[in-house]
Amino acid sequence: MQKAQLKWQWEITSRTSYRIEDIKALWSYRHFLFSLVRREFLLNYQQTVLGPFWLIFPPLVTLVTYILVFNKMVGISTGTIPPVLFYFSGIVLWNFFSDCWSGTSTTFKENAHLFSKVYFPRIIIPVSLVCTHFLRFLLQFIFLLCIAGFYIFFRDLKVAFNFWLLVLPLAIICVGLIGLGMGLLFSVLTAKYRDISNLVTLGVRLLMFVTPVIYPLTSIPQRWRILVEINPLTSFFEIFRKGLLGEGTVNLGMFLYSFLFTIFISFGGLMIFNKQGDKLIDVV
Amino acid sequence: MMQPELKEVIEVDHLSKLYKLGTIGTGSLRQDFQYWWNKSVLKKPNPFFDLQNDESSLDQKDFIWALRDISFKVNKGEALGIIGSNGSGKSTLLKIISRIVRPTHGAVKGNGKLSSLLEVGTGFHEELTGRENIYISGYTLGMKKEEIRRKFNEIVSFSGVEKFIDTPVKRYSSGMYVRLAFAVAAHLEPDILIVDEVLAVGDSDFQKKCLSKMREVSQSDGRTILFVSHSMQAINNLCDRALWLDHGVMKEIGKTSVVVNKYISNVQKLNIQQSWNTPEEAPGNDNLRFKHVELIPQQLAPGAPLDIRTPFTVKFQFWNFLDNVQLNSGLVLFAYSGECIFDLLSPIALCNKGIVEGECHIPGNFLNDGPYYISINVVRDTSVPLFNFEECLSFELEDYRGGLQYYGKWWGAVRPQFPFQLAQKEFIVL
Repeated sequence: MQKAQLKWQWEITSRTSYRIEDIKALWSYRHFLFSLVRREFLLNYQQTVLGPFWLIFPPLVTLVTYILVFNKMVGISTGTIPPVLFYFSGIVLWNFFSDCWSGTSTTFKENAHLFSKVYFPRIIIPVSLVCTHFLRFLLQFIFLLCIAGFYIFFRDLKVAFNFWLLVLPLAIICVGLIGLGMGLLFSVLTAKYRDISNLVTLGVRLLMFVTPVIYPLTSIPQRWRILVEINPLTSFFEIFRKGLLGEGTVNLGMFLYSFLFTIFISFGGLMIFNKQGDKLIDVV
Repeated sequence: MMQPELKEVIEVDHLSKLYKLGTIGTGSLRQDFQYWWNKSVLKKPNPFFDLQNDESSLDQKDFIWALRDISFKVNKGEALGIIGSNGSGKSTLLKIISRIVRPTHGAVKGNGKLSSLLEVGTGFHEELTGRENIYISGYTLGMKKEEIRRKFNEIVSFSGVEKFIDTPVKRYSSGMYVRLAFAVAAHLEPDILIVDEVLAVGDSDFQKKCLSKMREVSQSDGRTILFVSHSMQAINNLCDRALWLDHGVMKEIGKTSVVVNKYISNVQKLNIQQSWNTPEEAPGNDNLRFKHVELIPQQLAPGAPLDIRTPFTVKFQFWNFLDNVQLNSGLVLFAYSGECIFDLLSPIALCNKGIVEGECHIPGNFLNDGPYYISINVVRDTSVPLFNFEECLSFELEDYRGGLQYYGKWWGAVRPQFPFQLAQKEFIVL
């Protein structure tokens, strides 16, 4: 009996499992992951006239719009943070999240052809997308740091160092993970039920309004604040601003809540993706 | 890692695959939820279809068994050909073994690294250069970075696109594209290689190169190949054993030549004999009615399929209702496309009421491969048509090329073997 079990290295049956794939097997696909990320960058910026400028241009246009509309016209206060920094930090982080979520949520639909022709761990595709968006975020983040530097050195902006700066990298990763987890979950759903892909677009748009992207959490009246606080992204956005620009509303409890949610959604998404992923080829 | 005592590398064990027809992809959420609720929470059998208990109730038109209870084993170093008509489940079988789709029942067990080549150019992207595509396609097919780097030059020279390697592949001709794509695939070094009909692309020269590469791989390196093709020639040349699938059921597995012959004789469009007992029901008119038409092949071996080498005889009989007439008969052979290949005339014979018989012999090594049909007509006084029996016989000739390693479609309406010599005339140092 023992021997019979040892005999075969792999087996394919109708059963799929929630189990997260062998890390070793995934590791052997790392070059594939890198080349997918590279491809994404090449495809996006290679044949365009302005090239990498497109990385910075869209958030800058958004920034100008937000400042005009929300700061000048509506008059939302950004506290001590200059509006440019306030909005740009929000936009950059929000774009990272929404790109991760909406990008990965079409994994099966977009790659149906590839998936029906060759096998590799399917998770590579969404992870490569998140990596691409992360790199893009990183470049925009550096740009944000440059603007912040400008304000600190030439405009006398005072940013006090605080504990949350140390948590900042983790907060960024968590934002990406929530995006990935949601994306994985929705990639399965959109493959099965086409209608749901419309929901993602709508969801991304609406979710932004209960996330402190265009307003600081402090500007929300106390009795409505719960609506924003229940959103796990909120504390990460506040940490982002607090750590970087010195102003934000966050406490350990909020952070823990968001962190636990991140773990829950990313593992949940991954498990469902693994369990359903191999079956979905019949449907897409 | 080496376990020489293990001879089997793949075991397919009672494999079945059920496809749901119709509403694929638009399953209602309620139905899925109900299914999940019953199965996981109430532990009740599936209300929609319970595979374990009642399979017969399944045979409705909503479901189709793409594969049904397939079991076989493949040994190390063996090349197994999979044949069958379209929709027989060949591709589904390969996809299950490749892990792309999951079976409904049964299992596939295996040893070693498996790569599958279900289309040419998997992972290729139009906008990227040849160089980038070699890497990304190699990764997609499961190659390692080191492996690609090591073989990069070999891949490029195999494909013959050296000059264009840094040009985006969208500027390639389709031939170059295919060559580059196959070159990557041909340099895969898995223990088990799965190939689906990729030889249908590319020019004949390149096909030859690919096939010999594949043979080299299976014979010298002890790799195992599973190969699907519609070209019986390619299967015959490359594979040791063949598996014949018919509507998802395994019809036959065994020595390639035996299985291939059985398969061909089964699927050939044959209508090689027709007889009528009484003139009343026979085709014809007041002048004559056909009693019997038959095509008799002189098969090289019993049960062998009709191929281009097979000579055959066409025999026919008709009831002649006319006295003292000069009759002659025409035998017209058409390709299935409707194109006339030849029109043979019999000598004139003086006939009276009764049964008239004709016989015509057509040699082997004359017609090209393909489907044909025959019409027979009878003419009086060399010019008055009496009756034309259209499409009274049809048959199909299989290809045969011996050891010739060319698998493209052979040109021409006929393929006669006329004397043809080629020899070295003179030696000159050039």
